[in-house]
Amino acid sequence: MFYPARGSPSVEAAAESHDERLGRELKHARPARWLLVGAPNVGKSALFNRLTNLYVTVSNYPGTSVELTSALRSDGDRPVEVVDTPGLYSLLAVTEDERVARRAVLDASDATIIHVVDASHLERALPLTLQLLALQRPLVLACNLMDEAEARGAAPDLAALEERLGIPVVGTVATTGRGVDDLARRAALAHTPVDGWGLPEPYAALARRVAHEGEGARALIEAELALAGDPEFEPQLAAECGAWPEIANERERQHGGPEGYAVGLATSRRRMALALLDGVIPSAGINARDQKRLDNLLLSPWTGIPLIALVLYLAFYQFVGRFGAGTAVDWIEGVLFGRWIEPASEAAVRSLVPWEAVQDLLVGPYGLLPLGVRYAVAIVLPIVGAFFLVFAALEDSGYLPRLALLLDRAFKAIGLSGRAVIPLVLGFGCNTMATLVTRTLETRRERVITTLLLALAIPCSAQLGVVLGILSIAPGAVMIWMAVMLAVFLGVGWFAARLLPGEPPVLHMELPRLRLPRPGNVLVKTGTRMRWYFAEIFPLFLLASVLLWFGDLTGLLQAATRLLEPAVEAISLPAAAAPAFLYGFFRRDFGAAGLYDLAGQGALGPAALTTAAVTITLFVPCVAQFLVMRKERGLSVAVTVLVVATTVAFAVGGAVGWTLRAVGGWQ
Amino acid sequence: MNCSMCGSSAGCQGCPIGAGFYLPHTLDTLRSGQRATIQRLAAASGSALRKLLALGLLPGVELEVERSWPAMVVRLGNASVALDEALAGAVVVSIDGG
Repeated sequence: MFYPARGSPSVEAAAESHDERLGRELKHARPARWLLVGAPNVGKSALFNRLTNLYVTVSNYPGTSVELTSALRSDGDRPVEVVDTPGLYSLLAVTEDERVARRAVLDASDATIIHVVDASHLERALPLTLQLLALQRPLVLACNLMDEAEARGAAPDLAALEERLGIPVVGTVATTGRGVDDLARRAALAHTPVDGWGLPEPYAALARRVAHEGEGARALIEAELALAGDPEFEPQLAAECGAWPEIANERERQHGGPEGYAVGLATSRRRMALALLDGVIPSAGINARDQKRLDNLLLSPWTGIPLIALVLYLAFYQFVGRFGAGTAVDWIEGVLFGRWIEPASEAAVRSLVPWEAVQDLLVGPYGLLPLGVRYAVAIVLPIVGAFFLVFAALEDSGYLPRLALLLDRAFKAIGLSGRAVIPLVLGFGCNTMATLVTRTLETRRERVITTLLLALAIPCSAQLGVVLGILSIAPGAVMIWMAVMLAVFLGVGWFAARLLPGEPPVLHMELPRLRLPRPGNVLVKTGTRMRWYFAEIFPLFLLASVLLWFGDLTGLLQAATRLLEPAVEAISLPAAAAPAFLYGFFRRDFGAAGLYDLAGQGALGPAALTTAAVTITLFVPCVAQFLVMRKERGLSVAVTVLVVATTVAFAVGGAVGWTLRAVGGWQ
Repeated sequence: MNCSMCGSSAGCQGCPIGAGFYLPHTLDTLRSGQRATIQRLAAASGSALRKLLALGLLPGVELEVERSWPAMVVRLGNASVALDEALAGAVVVSIDGG
């Protein structure tokens, strides 16, 4: 399927023969690897999906892809490895995920870089194109979202731009596939750009002194970043370069320090970009007001906060809670598993497998089927699936950055910028995934606080479903539970913000256009997250089942449970609730489910139920989340979070129970 | 560039209010609907500066303030960017038009 970008067919044809000539010469000299690079929210991931037919998350929130994703593309005569990178505004990186993308760009010396840009925002994107051109690598400019640019009357003249830049410029619409074949064809033939796109003077002169002559374009770019005060490259090059003190003095004298160098160079590149775009983008005024009214409604606290409540109510309470955790779970668990699968499989295993221990491993109370598979398919799948579907729709619409903006002031009180709202909301789906996404936050302080709050006060959707089930037994308990969670969230955040040193949080982000969620995108995102969830989390669930079975078999489980009993009894819960807390570490919802059973037996009164629900929600993160915390934040932070969560859980749980009994007269 | 204290663009000689010093406008003092051109960036730290550069806030850039509360929303060309008061306070601007 090939649709030429409007307005440029003739020149494209001419450029193609030029490409093909060079392509013949270079075809076998270069291994095929394409690196997709660009600002967040320009459709890199959607383009990646189109190029590879492999679906990864496409997001309308700056920075949901936090790692490199690669997939093979096989067309023509040889396979191509296509790599998707996190969003990057400039090689002068700000956040951790941007540094991941920058490292990929600098290291991929053999790759063809495809710079993906929003066709309506060329003047913002072209400075990065110029920076990439200075790297002297094969480069293609993909002007994505051409349909939106055309609709707004902002479509650039691609042929003219191609002629000026001397690299292939292709218009694409990743969501429909328009121009993608053309992009692939031209990327396969892309060649190292013509000379003359190095650093502008006088910035280059200084950079050459750091990098030494003849060390190549990459060294020059690293020198540029060091001179611009990049916290990674400045110390590194200052240590390596003997003449650094002298060069730093020269920088001070010429540019007034690293800031002056950075601003001067960025300004100079912007001027180059504007000159290149002169006549390329329509000069007629673009109607930018179409969305202003809706934006005002979303961003003004008077209307925005009621709208948040409405969105939360409809999307999460009604859809995820009532439909996902209610109707869908009831049917799959009660009817599908309860009536059909479990009785049949239990009968089969008991009659076919002679050893009782193995029978228990498969179908016993902690068996793989009842705990592992049933939980995964009957409880987790519908709840988490419903959550991811709603989250993907919100993400695609562009609502989440607006939510971040609206909550920024409140979040500052707990040491976070509004940006942290994204991982925190995602945490209601899966805390483990959300802990990974904290990479998009800028300072270590914000990442640690968010990690702590996720582990402590944000129940994941699987746990939430069961906790709400427990609380439905005691009228009014849900409100108390919600108020306690909110108080702990704010209180712990407030303390953490005061205890942890570091820079105060700063809000800065691009607001993507608001658009109706596109069903294709939403389904793809949901599917990708579900696949990730089942690949990363489901094996751990099964492992947890095996460990629990093993612990039960050997008596280790009972021994560990006894250790927890005093703590459980200290908050006026029956000792029988202790196993539930232990299971909670393996899976957050396991613990809650254990309590659910106790509540069903009438072993817990309303006060004890509320205590138990509060404690189990706050209690330690699940084992998968712990592993990701250790990987992302280090062992000491992970262990500290564990200790804080345990302490806070029992302290707050106990206090809530005591208050309910003493003040509320609950049983 | 007009002084935010007295509004004059004539410079500090003959300052009508006798303040005797020039007080530039910063982005955080602008109201919704005002247009301005960025004159310089006065970021206190390298990290704040890199954020401004990443947002595309550079000397010479023309902008329009869309919102000033609960955070600043600024339109640059076709794009909207959001930033808080602390960051906006580091952007020295001259107000365009009336």
